[in-house]
Amino acid sequence: MNIIGRRKLWFAISLLIIIPGTFSLLRWGLKPGIDFVGGQVMEISGTTDQGFVRQTLVDNGARDIVITTTGDNKLLARYRDEEGKDSTKTSTEVKAALAVKNAQPTSFESIGPAVSRDITRNAFVSVGLASIVIMFFIAFAFRNAPPPVSPMSFGVTAIIAILHDTLVVVGTFSLLGHFANVEIDALFVTAVLTAIGFSVHDTIVVYDRIRENLKRSTERFEVVVNDSIVETMARSLATSLTVIFTLIALLVFGGDTIRLFILALLVGIMSGTFSSIFNAAPMLVVWHNWKLKRMAQKSK
Amino acid sequence: MHIKRLRRKLYIIIALALVSVLFVFPREDRILRAIGIKNVSPKVKLGLDLQGGTSLTYDADLKDTPAADKQKAMDGVLNVITKRINPTGTSEALIQQSGTNRIIVQLPGVTDAEAAAQQIGRTAQLTFYNLPPGDQPTPIPTDLTGKDLEQATADIDPQTAQPMIRFTMKSGESTKKFSDVTTEINKTGGRLVIVLDNQILFNGTVSTPITDGTGQMTGFADIKTAKETTVLLNAGALPVPVSLSSQRTIGATLGSESIAKSMIAGVIGFMAVVIFMVATYRWAGLIASLALVLYVLFNISLFKLSSITPWPIVLTLAGIAGFILSIGMAVDANILIFERMKEEMRSGKTIPNSLQVGFHRAWSSIRDSNLSTIMTCVILYTFGAPIIKGFAVTLALGVILSMITAITISRTLIQLFAESRFGSKSSRYSGVALTRIKPEKTS
Repeated sequence: MNIIGRRKLWFAISLLIIIPGTFSLLRWGLKPGIDFVGGQVMEISGTTDQGFVRQTLVDNGARDIVITTTGDNKLLARYRDEEGKDSTKTSTEVKAALAVKNAQPTSFESIGPAVSRDITRNAFVSVGLASIVIMFFIAFAFRNAPPPVSPMSFGVTAIIAILHDTLVVVGTFSLLGHFANVEIDALFVTAVLTAIGFSVHDTIVVYDRIRENLKRSTERFEVVVNDSIVETMARSLATSLTVIFTLIALLVFGGDTIRLFILALLVGIMSGTFSSIFNAAPMLVVWHNWKLKRMAQKSK
Repeated sequence: MHIKRLRRKLYIIIALALVSVLFVFPREDRILRAIGIKNVSPKVKLGLDLQGGTSLTYDADLKDTPAADKQKAMDGVLNVITKRINPTGTSEALIQQSGTNRIIVQLPGVTDAEAAAQQIGRTAQLTFYNLPPGDQPTPIPTDLTGKDLEQATADIDPQTAQPMIRFTMKSGESTKKFSDVTTEINKTGGRLVIVLDNQILFNGTVSTPITDGTGQMTGFADIKTAKETTVLLNAGALPVPVSLSSQRTIGATLGSESIAKSMIAGVIGFMAVVIFMVATYRWAGLIASLALVLYVLFNISLFKLSSITPWPIVLTLAGIAGFILSIGMAVDANILIFERMKEEMRSGKTIPNSLQVGFHRAWSSIRDSNLSTIMTCVILYTFGAPIIKGFAVTLALGVILSMITAITISRTLIQLFAESRFGSKSSRYSGVALTRIKPEKTS
């Protein structure tokens, strides 16, 4: 199998995968949930009458009401309280009004502006921090990589693969947000971070093999990298598959509440498997060839 | 000698497995009692999203507090709130500070958020006024405050059958102050007015000066209101005002539905992993699956055992997902080891030898890749909301525990298997004949 030789093809496939999501991200962005913008969400069981629920909310001063039906026949009402009104008060009044038709809230969440500001800030901080920490960790773990490869090239290419995975997940949810009204919440950020952490698993396995092969092989760098990818492909796929199995089980049979979280994890981990094999290591070759070219130019 | 050591390890593993089965068994407290351990009931602690309840987030207003006193004020707020929601110290409520000025209050089982919020968020500033006689008198504030109060108890007035609160002032200075104030009011023929925030608790004349520091407040709608007020009085006032910034209320039925669904998903996910492992690695896969069973048992035991330590692991829905996800990740170390073993076997090494080398060579990959997940979990824990912390904890715990099971338990079991006659055939370790999967050479 010649993976490295066809690297341009893999890069093109990756581009094709991320283009729609990136376009959507730039054009429509993400649909932030109440975790990020504040507001109220109430899950209501016992009625499917959206008009009744909407009227009840309007009567109690709610604005920006969006009502959807969930998978298990409950209604999910997102709204914003009247400015300055105590959200616990509204929820109690709404609860009483709903009881008239035997409906009741099964869960209620209200996020104020200060909290949502903090969640948003923490989301950015944690994604940024995770990327930096992982990059330096890989550079450190591969500090004894034999020349001609620099430890930093391992770290940087791993981060590019991670950015690819992040873009795939975020892009997917941007598309889902635009076409299916899917909102992102704090758990979405968690899914992205977890997928990042796991995507690095496979990358490390390949890199570990490259390092080992470099020590005893006299072949060209490209050949060594290609052999390493081929030799570790089965285990990369196997380790990802077992995780994908458990995620699919959770997606199909698990609770409704965390379905989108699981979906984000699944997309991220599948992307991570692809990018470790077809992006990270081939990029190492690109980096290396570029460096060789520069060295040749300098010596001229 | 070598085999002997392995056998000894095997006995330890069996013993550990038996102990963990004991904990995982749903009636573990009965079994514990039978073997003489009493008063210990390790139960998995469930988060609010699974057992139902209310979580309230408050922001304290610290803008008028000097920087040096901010933490002191927060400690005061936490202390007062704790006394208010947990006057007897028996409820499972959890009060935590988050950041510099935020307080998260978790109330399991409480679904009436409004009542809870009213009790917790009130400043509860107690003031005593001297209201002189006349048509439009101006109340004169006295220097008595809630701090002078020793104790307040709710009761029913035996004469009027109305709810009331009896209170006692602290002895010494406070009782003397109260005595001075009541003497003054008694002399001028005015009224004593006691106000909690903007609610009048007492408004009446003083027939005789009160020198023993006791008194009564009346005018409560019912005994419940009176009792709630005593909780506020006994806990004291919040040193700084707080405002409710977030709230989450989850019904109990939603939680139990979620648990049931997660269990099904967990069992199916687990079976899928086992089938895959056995299909791919045959007997070695079966042994890895056995180790996976032990992994799950150990993990659940840890969840349960942690509940009797000061650091209980609180399971949330996302946390359960993290645990189930970790089942899929737990076999990763085994896969890396088996694949490496196969390579060594192909290169002509004996099976026990390949095993030795396989474990040794796969270790750096296993360690480094798991470290990356653990680091992500640390970041998630540091910056995440409580629901995310739950996920980070179970995932990190799973990763660490799975690494330990892989290098101790799987290794011992596989070694014993490799030493046995049955395990001496290479076909026991792979679904594909090893000779047929030699990697092709490139270029």
